[in-house]
Parts: sequence; C-alpha cells; structure tokens
Amino acid sequence: MAPSLIRSPVQLPPAEALATSQQAPVVLQSSPSTVSSSALGSLFSATEKPELWIQYENLILSCLRTGDDRAAQECHNRLVARFGNNDRVKALGGLIKEAQAQNNGELEKILKEYDQMLDENNTNLPIMKRRIALLRSMGRLSDAASALVQLLDFSPTDSEAWSELSDLYFSQGLYPQAIYAMEEVLILAPNAWNVHARLGELQYMAAAASGATSGSYQKQMAEAIKRFSRSIELCDDYLRGYYGLKLVTKRLLKDNTKPAKQTDDEDFSLPDPKTIERLNELATSKLAEIVRHSSAQDHGWRGYDAAEVAAARELLSEDAPSGIER
Amino acid sequence: MMLISKSITAFGSLLLAHACYSAREHSTLQSFRAATSAALTSTPAAATSLPIDIAIETVVAILVILVGLVLGTSSLRPIQWREWAGKIEREGEDGFKDNNGEVNRDYMGNPFDFIEGRPNFVDIRKQRREFTEWVKSQGEQQK
Repeated sequence: MAPSLIRSPVQLPPAEALATSQQAPVVLQSSPSTVSSSALGSLFSATEKPELWIQYENLILSCLRTGDDRAAQECHNRLVARFGNNDRVKALGGLIKEAQAQNNGELEKILKEYDQMLDENNTNLPIMKRRIALLRSMGRLSDAASALVQLLDFSPTDSEAWSELSDLYFSQGLYPQAIYAMEEVLILAPNAWNVHARLGELQYMAAAASGATSGSYQKQMAEAIKRFSRSIELCDDYLRGYYGLKLVTKRLLKDNTKPAKQTDDEDFSLPDPKTIERLNELATSKLAEIVRHSSAQDHGWRGYDAAEVAAARELLSEDAPSGIER
Repeated sequence: MMLISKSITAFGSLLLAHACYSAREHSTLQSFRAATSAALTSTPAAATSLPIDIAIETVVAILVILVGLVLGTSSLRPIQWREWAGKIEREGEDGFKDNNGEVNRDYMGNPFDFIEGRPNFVDIRKQRREFTEWVKSQGEQQK
C-alpha cells in the first residue's frame, strides 16, 4: 500500500517515495484544477478540504525527488491559483527551481532571488529556511550556520530550526554545540521521544569521539543512559531507545571502569555497575522480543522499520553467537 | 466480531418491537374488556397495569441491545502517553484502523517526526541524487 499523502514524505525510503509520486496523476485528476477562493464560488464548486493542499505540498516534495518535474509544477500551479504568491508557496516554487538547476551559476541566481525577497521582509521564515538549506546544499556551511543563528534570533521557538542547527553542527563534528541545540529542541518539545533518543545518540557519539580516557567521557555516557531511558519511559517498546541503551551499557560494561566519585556533581555520575548490568539485560530482552515478534510478522508488531529491526538483530547476535537470532 | 454484535443488536431490537406490540395489544384488549364489563355490570374498570412478562421482556430487550452495541464499538484508544506512543511505534498504521479497515483520518504517525525530518530545510538536490543512485542500483540488481 502506498504511504499516506497527508504525512511528510521527506524521511521515506526511496521505494516508498516512488510509490508516493506515482499517486500524483490520480490525485491531480481526481481533484478540481482550480478551487475558487471567493465565498460565492464555494457555494457552487466542490468543497475544498485542507488535506488537499497538504497533499499538493507533499506531492511536490516526492515528485521532485523522483524527477517528475511536470507533476510538481502542476501541483505548484494549483497552489498559486488558490493562494496567490504567499511566502510558503514562493518557497515551494524556489524548491522546484533548485531541483531543476543544472550548475552552480543557476544556484547562485536562485540564492540572489531569495536575498531579494528577504530584503523586502527579513523575517520571511519559509524563504529564510530555503536559503539556509540551499547554502548548506552548496557546501557553504559556515554561512548556513550564521544565517540559521540569525533566524533563531528572531524566532527562538522554532524547533525545526534548532534541530537543523544541531544537525549542521553535528555534520561538522562540533558535538557540544550540536548537543546544546538538541537540548533547546527538548525544551520546546519535552515529550518528543525521538528527540530524547537523538540526544542520547549525540551524547554517545560525543563520548565515543572523545575516548574513554577523557574527563567528560563518563559524564556524557551517563547523560546518554539518561536520555535513552527517558525515551523508553515516554514510549513503550521503542526500538531506537532500547538499541541505544544496549549500545551504551554494553560499552560501559566492556570498559569496566569504576564510576568516578563525583560528590559535588550528583547529576552526572554514572550508576553503579549492577544497575548498568540490569539495564543491559532489560534492553537485551526487550530487543529480542521486538526482533522475534516483528520478524514473525505478528499482529500488532508490524510498525517497525525493517532496517532498524535488522540492525537490532545484528547487535544481539554480536554478543550471543549461538542464541537469540532467528 | 462485527457480525456477532450486529446480530445481537438485531435480536434485541426484535425483542423490543415484540414487547411494544404486546403492550399495545394488551391495552386494546383491556379497554375492550372494560367497555364490555362496564356495559354488563356498571362497576368501574379496575386500574389496568402491564403484565409482568411484558415489562421483563422490555428490560431484557434493552439490555441485549446494549450488549450488542458495546460489542460493536472499536477498541478504545490508549490514554497514557507512553502506551499511545508505543502503539504508534509498534503497530504503525495497523493500530489505528476502524472497523472498516480504514486508517483513522487524524492518524499522523509520530507527531514529532518533523523535528528530525525537517521538511522546510530539505536538501532537494541531494535527495534527487540519492534517488537516481537508488534507481541505478535497483536496475543492476535486476540484471
């Protein structure tokens, strides 16, 4: 079954993106090409649903990805016909141009257009975000970062932008900054279990990068345990959370380091080895359960990503060579 | 499950209709009898009340209908955050289908996905490149 058009297609794997964009002709044919925005017109024409415009937006994204520029342009035309040239529609138009650009010169031209629009209104969020994405895509990371910081200056509650900043810093290897930006996201969305898991992953990678001998290693590992545990607390049977927990506890058990006595800084001290051992066992048994059910395609266990399940199976088979995998 | 619930509800409705009909018949009969006995004896008719079996049938019919309707409701949604979140992760769309097998309209997966997906910052050129590479690799696999 093709994935729903209401949901954002950005994270879909290629096969599903293809299936989504193949829905484009059907959607374009089944919905009217123009929807009147006047009150009188809406009496006579078909009722418009807000979902339709979300569908068009998502279709533009997945059609551009699969190279179906014509359908994307058609979707965009319909959005223009309905909403005129508002900021969000303009940003989508810029997206289409970016996708069709052949060389750096054209990209520079698009960048100039964005700059012009920002000159008129320098708090134009959709255009600003496109400009940052384009800068990043062209490899001008420091420009992108400074533009992003500027954006967050006037719009500090934009969790998406904080997350982008975190990812940008992460791609440059600046772990402390990436962690800081992710923590800001957490302030804005304290219940988001995937953000907790992401922060745990960042902490773990930061710890792994600094090495076991460094002073911040234990602190970061303890933070990672805490984040993964919180993500599990917020979401039952969260594969990603248990995977991270197992990864961290396994490494700590292998290191076999004694928790440094940090009497003044209670928050960041590692739990004692027994607790770590038990956390590790818990994560192992949960992962085994998830892998077992989801490879048997049991009813009610089909929501997991196949690649994630495969990774979990691999992790399990590493420390139980003759055991759990099936 | 759907069939059981519907047949129980239908059976209950039948019982209820029967009870109504019996009650009506009973009152017609009563008034007819009262009229005839008044003509014969000139004593006022005794206060009429429904026989107990009709009353019982009505109550039982309503209970049966209730059971049928309750059995037919779709399963309740979890109200605890972690259960609800776990359901999204574990079951995906499967967990949010109604009785007709259609995914609920307000189902949107993990509502925080956009924080990691960042649709407004999408690097469309990179996605396009990756997609063409994927198509190529698929083509090679098929050869």
